[in-house]
Amino acid sequence: MRDFHPLRLSEVRPEIEGAATSLIFDVPQDLQATFQWQAGQHLTLRFMIDGVEERRSYTISNPPWAPLRITVKQVYKGKVSHHVAGLAPGDTVEVIPPFGSFCLTPQPMGRRTHYFFGSGSGITPLFAMINAVLQEEPYSVAHLIYGNADEPSILLREELEALQDRHGDRFTLRHVISSPSMWSWFSPWRKGRVDKDAIAAAIEETPPEAQDVQYWICGPGAMNRDVKTALMSMDVPDTRIHMESFGGTEAENDGVTGVKATATVRLDGADHQIAMAADQTLLQALQANGLSVPYSCQSGVCGACRCQVTEGTVHMRNRMALEDADIANGAALSCQSLATSETLGVNFDR
Amino acid sequence: MSTMYHHLPVEAYTSQEWFDREQRLIFSRSWRFAGLVEDVPGPGHYISVQAGLNNLFIVMGRDHRLRAFHNICRHRGTQLIRAVGKTQKALTCPYHDWTYDLEGNLISVPDEEREFPGGVDKSCLGLKPASVDVWRGMLFVHPDPNPPSLAEWFGAVDPHLGPHDPNELVEYEEARSSYDIKANWKIVVENYIDVYHLSHLHSDTLHMYDHAKAKFGWEGPHYHFWEPPSADYAKNLEKNLPTPRVIPEPHVGAWVPMLFPGIGLGASEESWNLFIITPLGPDLTRIENRSKLADASSWEYSKQQWSSWSFWKDFGGAKYKGEDAQGEDDPMASRDFTAEDVYACEQQQKALTSPYLEIGPAAKGESPILMHQQAVLEFMEAQEKRS
Repeated sequence: MRDFHPLRLSEVRPEIEGAATSLIFDVPQDLQATFQWQAGQHLTLRFMIDGVEERRSYTISNPPWAPLRITVKQVYKGKVSHHVAGLAPGDTVEVIPPFGSFCLTPQPMGRRTHYFFGSGSGITPLFAMINAVLQEEPYSVAHLIYGNADEPSILLREELEALQDRHGDRFTLRHVISSPSMWSWFSPWRKGRVDKDAIAAAIEETPPEAQDVQYWICGPGAMNRDVKTALMSMDVPDTRIHMESFGGTEAENDGVTGVKATATVRLDGADHQIAMAADQTLLQALQANGLSVPYSCQSGVCGACRCQVTEGTVHMRNRMALEDADIANGAALSCQSLATSETLGVNFDR
Repeated sequence: MSTMYHHLPVEAYTSQEWFDREQRLIFSRSWRFAGLVEDVPGPGHYISVQAGLNNLFIVMGRDHRLRAFHNICRHRGTQLIRAVGKTQKALTCPYHDWTYDLEGNLISVPDEEREFPGGVDKSCLGLKPASVDVWRGMLFVHPDPNPPSLAEWFGAVDPHLGPHDPNELVEYEEARSSYDIKANWKIVVENYIDVYHLSHLHSDTLHMYDHAKAKFGWEGPHYHFWEPPSADYAKNLEKNLPTPRVIPEPHVGAWVPMLFPGIGLGASEESWNLFIITPLGPDLTRIENRSKLADASSWEYSKQQWSSWSFWKDFGGAKYKGEDAQGEDDPMASRDFTAEDVYACEQQQKALTSPYLEIGPAAKGESPILMHQQAVLEFMEAQEKRS
């Protein structure tokens, strides 16, 4: 399932005056089922740049019935994002099929109020989700509170405004701008950040009518934490908050150290015994032993390297790709897991 | 062999056994009207409502989301739950001060160590969750934490309920009333949905609408009805409306649906009204009326009153006048369509105990009555299969 497939680009479109690039893939008939996705899921791309393999995960920025598209924001001195901007229609890119647990599955007869809190390129999964709600949950409403530094950096702005025109009774769009330009006519809903005050004001302005309320957060790690803290201080229960971290996804060293351990790893039907150093993640130990397991972002976001802990315990530095319930059931991300017991059992086959 | 009243035996209207079954299988298994959204106006506010055999409690958190629980303290079952404290974050039962958080988790038991030396497993003693949702500005509760959504329940009938948005209207407090009718709840529903009687019982009280042109039908167990203004009323409709309009032109007419079970709406060009039917016993039914009007200035109200005065001053009259009326208190001389209906319902209920009762043929305009009886039977049958 998590193998790379070569896909041809049917369109390469510069966005926000070249500061971002949308790639649209041509999915051949025989791969259509493999490349089905849920709003919010992502793709992993592999590039060879200057002889070095680079992998990146990008959220699919279209709802499931539209063309397969990702939108990549230019990163200052970003090797991969510059490479992406230089691609052309007809080029082939290696892609792992969609996956990820940060996804919104529409309920056609459901009646939900969805609040979306996003910033920067965190809009991409939210955009797919909002479309899914407006198209496939006719009795639900969506409210987007979208933070950006300034007006020119607002991704997918025209498309969001078009949604507002078409679904004015079920979709509200509110921009929060942190460094507004003096020369802009654009007047955002609020200046500042998507913080506690903004969240409280947004909810008070548009309180839920449908009482099954869900909260979706996607932005840099710090914003996600702040939004979640703000929501929980307003009595929102944890179970209704869904989030994914975007931007600044390098693994955080949280100061926790592991222990030296022996791990028994079940992979492709065979058991392997490997040694893990105290500061080595499970993924690093596997690679050092020449074992090939699926992985992608190496920052705990994408979930590609997910496995099941069957014996012993691990500590995960980041675990955005897992819900608390997954972890309670023994799921772990090998790129983030340090051993915290001397023997470890891990299964990649289920 | 019991006497049949169309599809139902007469006992369905008179016996305690039928009443108990309906309480169990209909009113304790369906979405119940719980009030208007204004009744829980902000965080920390709460209400409780009896829905069939269940007493349910609705509270709003600071996230403006409503939560519903069974109003049963998990200690002794007392129906005393209240939201307290400055931030109203806690739900407590004043009997022994057991306290729950807004998700229903039991968070504190007073003198826990002394009173429960064996310990209390708080994690198993949370409030039992129920469901609450909002539809057209009305609160609905369901005893099941995972019921069919209101979209599944009302989605199909919604387009027939008129263009009204009750959220934009304001309650007319003077019209809020509650009274009991000495009749079975189904008799009251049947009276509400009987199209045939409109031109007869109400020949001189509801003729601003043209009953002959009524359009009515069903979506599942829900009845919908619309009729246009009568020619006289329509001639100068904008001038004749007694209060300012609540729906945009060119919408006209009266929408009078009966949602299942016993949730009557009555909406027209200038008002939106609720007629909530709650069975109290086999032959006793409570009615709660609430009414919403345009959110307009008193000047606009005065203006509309002036302009419509000439239409209404001579409108309507008693069903029976002069010597035909049985004195001053005769409902048939009341000039009030509600009094006419209550009287008809109560007199019909009385007839149901007569050994000589025999129900005659149903008119076309009474077809909704048969459909409602069918809806009652089908709903109970489906619920019986579930349990």
